[in-house]
Amino acid sequence: MAAILIVCLIGIPWMGAVLVWLAGDRRPALQHTLAVASSVLTAGVSLYLVFLNQSQPAVTIPMGSAFGDFTFTPDGLGVFLAAVAAVVGSLAVIYSVDYMRGAAQVGRYYAMVLFFIGAMIGLVLTSNLLLMFFFWEITALTSYSLISFYNDDPKAVAGGLKALIITQLGGLGMLAGALVIYSQLGTYDLNVFLANHAQMDPLWLKIAAFGFLAAAAAKSSQFPFHTWLPDAMEAPSPISALIHAATMVNAGVYLLARFFPAFEGVPGWRTAVIVVGAVSALIAAVMALFANDLKRVLAYSTVSQLGYMVYAVGAGGIFASQLHLMSHSVFKALLFLAAGTVIHAVGTRDLRQMGGLGRQMPLTQVVFILGALSLAGIPVMNGFWSKELILEAGLEHAPFWSYLVMTFTAGLTALYTFRVVWLVFFGEPRSHLHAHDATAFMRVSLVALAFGTFTTWLLAGPFARLLATTLPFHHFEFETTWEVVFEVLTAPATLVALAVIALGLLAWWRRERLLSLQKRLAFLQPVAEGAFGFDLLNQIIVALTHALASGLRVTQTGDLSWNIFAIVTALAVILAILAVGV
Amino acid sequence: MNANTALLVLFALPLLASPVIYLVGRITVKVTRDHTAKWPARGLTVVVLLAALATLVSAAQSFFINGPFELHLNQIALRLDGVSLLMSFVAIVLGLVVALFSSRYMAGEENEEKFYALLAALVGALIGMSCAVDLFNLWVWFEAMSITSVMLVAFYKNQAAALEASIKYLVQSAVGSVFILFGISLVYAFTGALNLSAIQANLSQPSPLLMVAASLFVIGFGVKAALVPLHTWLPDAHSQAPSGISAMLSGIVIEAALLALLRTLSSLTDASVSPGAILLTFGALNILVGNLMALRQTQVKRLLAYSSVAHMGYILLGFGFSLAYGNLNGAQGAFFHILNHAAMKGLAFLSVGAVMYVLLIANHNHRALELQDLNGLSQRYPLLAFTLSLAVLALGGMPPLAGFMSKWQIFVAGAQASSPAVLTLVIFAGLNSVLSLGYYAPLVNRMYRRQPAEVIAAGKPLTFSLALSLVLLSLPVVILGFWPSLATPLTEPAARALLAVFGL
Repeated sequence: MAAILIVCLIGIPWMGAVLVWLAGDRRPALQHTLAVASSVLTAGVSLYLVFLNQSQPAVTIPMGSAFGDFTFTPDGLGVFLAAVAAVVGSLAVIYSVDYMRGAAQVGRYYAMVLFFIGAMIGLVLTSNLLLMFFFWEITALTSYSLISFYNDDPKAVAGGLKALIITQLGGLGMLAGALVIYSQLGTYDLNVFLANHAQMDPLWLKIAAFGFLAAAAAKSSQFPFHTWLPDAMEAPSPISALIHAATMVNAGVYLLARFFPAFEGVPGWRTAVIVVGAVSALIAAVMALFANDLKRVLAYSTVSQLGYMVYAVGAGGIFASQLHLMSHSVFKALLFLAAGTVIHAVGTRDLRQMGGLGRQMPLTQVVFILGALSLAGIPVMNGFWSKELILEAGLEHAPFWSYLVMTFTAGLTALYTFRVVWLVFFGEPRSHLHAHDATAFMRVSLVALAFGTFTTWLLAGPFARLLATTLPFHHFEFETTWEVVFEVLTAPATLVALAVIALGLLAWWRRERLLSLQKRLAFLQPVAEGAFGFDLLNQIIVALTHALASGLRVTQTGDLSWNIFAIVTALAVILAILAVGV
Repeated sequence: MNANTALLVLFALPLLASPVIYLVGRITVKVTRDHTAKWPARGLTVVVLLAALATLVSAAQSFFINGPFELHLNQIALRLDGVSLLMSFVAIVLGLVVALFSSRYMAGEENEEKFYALLAALVGALIGMSCAVDLFNLWVWFEAMSITSVMLVAFYKNQAAALEASIKYLVQSAVGSVFILFGISLVYAFTGALNLSAIQANLSQPSPLLMVAASLFVIGFGVKAALVPLHTWLPDAHSQAPSGISAMLSGIVIEAALLALLRTLSSLTDASVSPGAILLTFGALNILVGNLMALRQTQVKRLLAYSSVAHMGYILLGFGFSLAYGNLNGAQGAFFHILNHAAMKGLAFLSVGAVMYVLLIANHNHRALELQDLNGLSQRYPLLAFTLSLAVLALGGMPPLAGFMSKWQIFVAGAQASSPAVLTLVIFAGLNSVLSLGYYAPLVNRMYRRQPAEVIAAGKPLTFSLALSLVLLSLPVVILGFWPSLATPLTEPAARALLAVFGL
């Protein structure tokens, strides 16, 4: 039964993608219907699969030596993330019916979205390293194609290309890791690897561990690969919500959590994970504070929140990281969709031109504030519980400096979140923008997600049990939601964090007093806007590659004599090499 | 049909058909007094290649049951083993699709029947070369392949660029041929044998002369296999040839030359010539130079030509890993990549050819296709935009397309060497794969722009035979990406046969 469901979970969206594409752009109504039908069906199947979880592979297709057995295992982590991808995916597609209405090439849009949903589900359900890399790359491909969906806009094309190249560069780490594991253990099965990782030579295990970390950092847009996600905001807003907030960018965290039992013993690995998470969380929060583009603020905030999850894995809090992943998927998807509604209504992303929009779009205002409260970690929103668990794990199992950084960042998060809410919905209108509130299909998605922001934490207990029973190599301490609640409420970290968050809020209400401080910090603004120098670094690498490529054109002289000269020289070199005997 | 007869027919059919195709073409023109009435020549080519494919299937049945077999015709011996099966298969199938494609693409060209005659001869030469078991025959087939391909590159004889390309190709090939011939004479002088296994048997001790012979072979065949820095003819030849021929040249001709080199070197293994390191070095060079050069091209076919240089590098790496470390995956991955590359690059060149046809050739314009001509292609030609995207993304190694799987298998072989240096080489190759997306991906973006280029508005409709050939080549590109083990029955015997002659 589980086998059939898994095949359906990947097959339905992919078939849907083909059908939408075949339907053709002359029949947009049919395209919308097909896309919604297949994504909703997928979501339903994915929820059913949650109850059929097991730790043994449900699907096994032998592929021969170099490719291993293509296996799919519906264990707790897999079914959970598959459900997140499918459910948020279906909400994003429903939202798109209004958002993309009348846009050109809707077929390509839906085909890619559905292709992505299937690939994301495959990525989390497979237990074969080759297939994991396979789906990993498909998600990168679809992400690239959707970021540059508006191909006539050079910024969109550049953003898509940047995302593709950077995630692929990191992906090489995963490629190397998977190859090393296969060459050492003769298997691609990740559960066999988790069971037998001790048999691997420490050097090769280390290469695999750090390779996977690089891949995860690139995918989750973590330091030092944090430059691509903000530029990915050229994508249509539902894509930002689905791919660049709720699902694909979580793949990095998933990868680290999945392989934590094998890599936690590698010297320096956990510290490296903690550093990557903490640095990303901090610098992205600073960048969010200075950004004036609504979607970029949310993108920086995503990098920052993913930093929390990565940090949690480094601190050993696998459950905390996955719970925050769930909370974040819900509230960030909500924020992006609400932001999309705003942008759709007013036609600009510039915060400086908004203001006072709350009166014109009350529903959007309410759901955006709910998402913001959750992002800021205000009780009893879902973001509160998971963030507190992360901070608590950090306090107990990570270096103390890192705990301080993360707590400080929690304050920054509250500050930039309320800055955005204020600039968009409150105050006096700063330009003559005429807005209309969310339309029917948008409302469905917004309300569903808004409901999730204060309810999903109630699932913490069942979720913990699900993970504990199907992941034999991980360790989880919680059993029920009450235990989680009790743990959070009694931890000292909670009070500290709430105090810092309150300070962050206070800083916004007292912002006039802070003006002098802001002026003194003004030097940070250009640095933050340039992703702390890493954008420049990216540009330098691209420029160098192009310079090298141009320089190399000298070798193609078009002159036959030089060509023959090259042949004769090569002969001499080969002769010399063979003569000295290599 | 018994196996020996099948092999004889397989090898004789395209060669004998070649002049017949030409004559049929001429006679039709005489009889109908219509210069464009070439359909009998076109049809005959397709029929001949279909018959060749059927014969190959029948020979392959015997091969899969009884293993490799030889056919002796006096002094000439032909051997059907895993390698020749795979190479002949690719040559015939690609030739068939190209013939189908060209029936529209080349329609109305001056001397169209010569094109088909040469195409059949090229396929025949490729089959012969992949089946040859002695040095002299190998060289003869190699020359036959060179001559037919040079004439095909020069097919547009009224265009200066095509003539320049073919002359470069001819001169450099000739230099290579001289080297090979010199190498053969050295080997014969030393061992008194030409048969590859006899040479191996007669070798008793290493000799400097044999090393000289080996280097001559590497460079001689290397010119045709486009090893960097011997590749300088390739961008011109592959971009100036008619698009179907570009597909043949990139898809099978350069690979066949590499296989000829490997077969030749295999006879010298006891002369302490280890080709593994040489292949790996050339592989790394090819990948780097091919990708960097492609990055700055503005002509679509030139870009694809440089991409072939890069892909030759992956194939070299695969064989290099196998020969240096004795694992099967490298050679198997390389053969898999040969198979996939024929499909991917064939699809890329034919898609570009179809674009050239509908935009330029059908409007009697023979200029080269520039990247900017592709802007907004999908608006009017969704199928062309789709197949070209499919082809270049597969070439860039994106799943779920075929190129991903064969590159993976090659990389697995590198990892199995269990050496950090070799893993670095694998990462280097992977890095270059990412780099290649730097020119493939913008090409895809172009095609999906909403503002079409002016030339697209004036384009002619896409015809059925063009579309059919593209769809035929798209199938393996997608299917092998999902189901790589479908290729194993072809790639595994090929890899085993190659390793066996190297004594690994």
